[in-house]
Amino acid sequence: MEILLQQTVNAFALGGTYALLALGLAIVFSIMGLINFAHGELMTIGGYVLMYCGLAGLPFALTVGLAILSTTLAAMLMERIAFRPVRNASGATMLITSFAVSMILQVLFQNFISVRSQPVLLPQLLSDSVRVGGFIIGVNKLLAIAATVVMLVFLDWFMKHQKTGIAMRAAAEDFAVARLMGIRANSVIAGAFALSGLLAGVAAVLWVSQRASVDPLMGFTPVLKAFIAAILGGLGSLRGAVAGGFALGFIEIYLAAFLPAAWQEFRDPIGLGIVVGVLLLRPNGLIPAASLKAQKV
Amino acid sequence: MITASPRHIVLSILAALAFVVIAAVGATIVGPAGERVLTVFFISLIAVLGIGVYSGNSGILSFGHMSFVAIGAYVSSLLTLPAAVKAATLPKLPEWLAATELGLLPAIAVAVAVTALVALVVGLALGRLDGSAATIATLGLLIIVHGIIIGWRDVTRGSGTFFGVPRDTSLWIAAAGCLVALIVARLYRDSISGLRLRATRENAIAAGAVGVNLRRERLISWVLSAALMAVSGALIAHFLGAFSPKKFYFVDTFQLLAMLIVGGMTTTTGAVVGAVAITVVTEFLRRLESGIDIAGFTTPQVFGTTQIGIAAIILIAMFRKADGIAGLKEWEERLFPPRTADVGDGRLTKVSDRAALTAKAMTMRFGGLTAVNDVSLKLTPGEIVGLIGPNGSGKTTLLNMLSGIIAPSEGEFSLAGKVLNGEPTYRIADLGIARTFQNIRLFPSLTVHQNVLVAALSTGGGRDAEGRAAAALENLGIAEHSGSDAGTLSYGDQRRVEIARALACQPSLLFLDEPAAGMNREETDALMETLRALSRDLGIGILLVDHDLGLINRLCDRILVLNEGNLIAEGAPDMIREDPAVIEAYLGRRND
Repeated sequence: MEILLQQTVNAFALGGTYALLALGLAIVFSIMGLINFAHGELMTIGGYVLMYCGLAGLPFALTVGLAILSTTLAAMLMERIAFRPVRNASGATMLITSFAVSMILQVLFQNFISVRSQPVLLPQLLSDSVRVGGFIIGVNKLLAIAATVVMLVFLDWFMKHQKTGIAMRAAAEDFAVARLMGIRANSVIAGAFALSGLLAGVAAVLWVSQRASVDPLMGFTPVLKAFIAAILGGLGSLRGAVAGGFALGFIEIYLAAFLPAAWQEFRDPIGLGIVVGVLLLRPNGLIPAASLKAQKV
Repeated sequence: MITASPRHIVLSILAALAFVVIAAVGATIVGPAGERVLTVFFISLIAVLGIGVYSGNSGILSFGHMSFVAIGAYVSSLLTLPAAVKAATLPKLPEWLAATELGLLPAIAVAVAVTALVALVVGLALGRLDGSAATIATLGLLIIVHGIIIGWRDVTRGSGTFFGVPRDTSLWIAAAGCLVALIVARLYRDSISGLRLRATRENAIAAGAVGVNLRRERLISWVLSAALMAVSGALIAHFLGAFSPKKFYFVDTFQLLAMLIVGGMTTTTGAVVGAVAITVVTEFLRRLESGIDIAGFTTPQVFGTTQIGIAAIILIAMFRKADGIAGLKEWEERLFPPRTADVGDGRLTKVSDRAALTAKAMTMRFGGLTAVNDVSLKLTPGEIVGLIGPNGSGKTTLLNMLSGIIAPSEGEFSLAGKVLNGEPTYRIADLGIARTFQNIRLFPSLTVHQNVLVAALSTGGGRDAEGRAAAALENLGIAEHSGSDAGTLSYGDQRRVEIARALACQPSLLFLDEPAAGMNREETDALMETLRALSRDLGIGILLVDHDLGLINRLCDRILVLNEGNLIAEGAPDMIREDPAVIEAYLGRRND
């Protein structure tokens, strides 16, 4: 029972990070149909900012702020330089463009920073743990869960009550009509990237605070998982992305905890197999995007 | 059967043969280094063509194809590995496998069969997903297969190197494999299945409405492409002699995709161009990476030059030519455009079946909105029925239900007593109900002839498809455009192509959704004559939605009027014109 609770906390922490990443992917996808492979590199940028600020001895709160700011700006820059020229091209064109961006950034990190994994200085507090009702939880796990909740609440408020957020939702349902209503394409897309960068930044902080190191390929694996999560939830659906992220987090953590040792080697295939199984039953994901239903014939 | 002109096919096969032979002879002259580079190039090209067979024709990008290369490599290597080596490196193999020792060709054959079987199972599952979801699912496939290979140590040596494979792949074997792949990919593109699949890529809903079973065509190309990947995998394994699971993961996946997309996904020409471009640049940069001497200076070593180079090519190609360097046409299609005279003549047979479409109490609700409410109607071959009503009155929704594109919330519709609820669109099309769309849905990058031909091939068992296609084009007076891409035609001509495409299905009933929209008076009159002739000479029943009341009044035997989803009037044109409910719906209530 204790193990179950312990693992559930872990699952929430990991799932939350996946959810934030998947949300970032889903926001951009819902508006412009781009599957952004370079999302992981935004995370890596956040990780390196944490590393350099740590070396410079800045206070941690400021460091976190700077990391998130840097990923937000990097995302907007990425859109302006790389994705605007292919905005109206097919999904495959945009996807492969994002892949090229990701590859260039990885090589830049390798050449200008280091090929090897670099340690990140973190406050002692993060590696402490607290005792809650009989079992021990890492502070970083609790913070991860708290940060996820705060971000989700913020995002919900933003999408429902902020002009830019509402414009984004409109654009996600029907970009052409949204533009006819006077919504500016450039600002909506820039906003979507800024938001996805912000989420990648938070995810980077959470990810690094669990591992205390950063390497040029850091963002690759978690974002890969986030893709799966976004599909599991329903591609282009924001609520779906969150649901998919948590679901994947739970699947992974529980499999790691409860799968017999002989089967552990097949953990990833089994986990993905479960995801595929869910998709076969619900091809459009757990919570399908609204635009699917609104498709005009 | 091949749908392209024999001239194109012969030209492309000869060119493929010349390309492979000249390249191989050239490499032999250069020497062993050249031979190595070219062998790898040939093997990569097989894989690029393999991905192209699926992704290019279906429009669904796949990240999972490298897993088929992996399966091909491991299966074939397990079969050719000398028994002594197996005993030493893989002691836990099942006995039958440990004792097996095949030559390269039979091993390739088995590897292809096994891979195709795996692809069939995966493809059945994948068929339920669409577009980007399918793409990400293929990414999942890549990870799953990679995970299984690493985990299944007794057979694959896990993440370690699988070695001792006989190096049987010579330059000429790779060349032969490449030639086969070029021909298979080229033929598939213009086979019936390939043409249907390309139609689904251009417009999935319209493809369904002309009788194309999207899932089946996708599955066929998926399995075929997996088979090509297996060949590539078996050849690379027997070229390298030793490999690990890493060889079949993201790095190589992206390299192949870069080749495919830079060159142009939809053609074999594009696959070749992309593979050549990326290989040339990679080979050049690889030398640069380790520092080369230029006029006495040694350039500094830069880590990752190759990746940056590939990435830069991708970006330049995507910014400049999003469809790839080769574009959307094969080279021979570009140099020798199809002649109009290639379309033969034929005729459409008169509708023999007098089976009527009966719809009872059709209702469609979208959330809280009732778009169509309790509408019943009957349509018999030979009659022309008008369906009118203000915008938003539910006309198109009714057509969409009757053609199987959306499932009605309530109600039942049947043709000749056979209930059609729940039937997929392609079967409804095959049963004799064809339609056009309010927003034109052509297959824009296919030629006019192909647009119509794919409809003829996918209905009525494809009998006399060429003849039906030719007759349909003739009927609508667009035979002169048959060689042009449908997307390049004027608006009025695109409407006519859509009607011709529906007609080529040899329907007994035809739904036309605003066919005269955007046409001038002369064009509308000509269209009216055409429709009248279809009804009179071929006995086709027509359900016509239009806002041109002049057209409707003159053409229709009977008119149905919808308002806010309800059927408010039905009868002869004279009656409808006088009907107070209709006048009110169109003009509003008088205030006195």
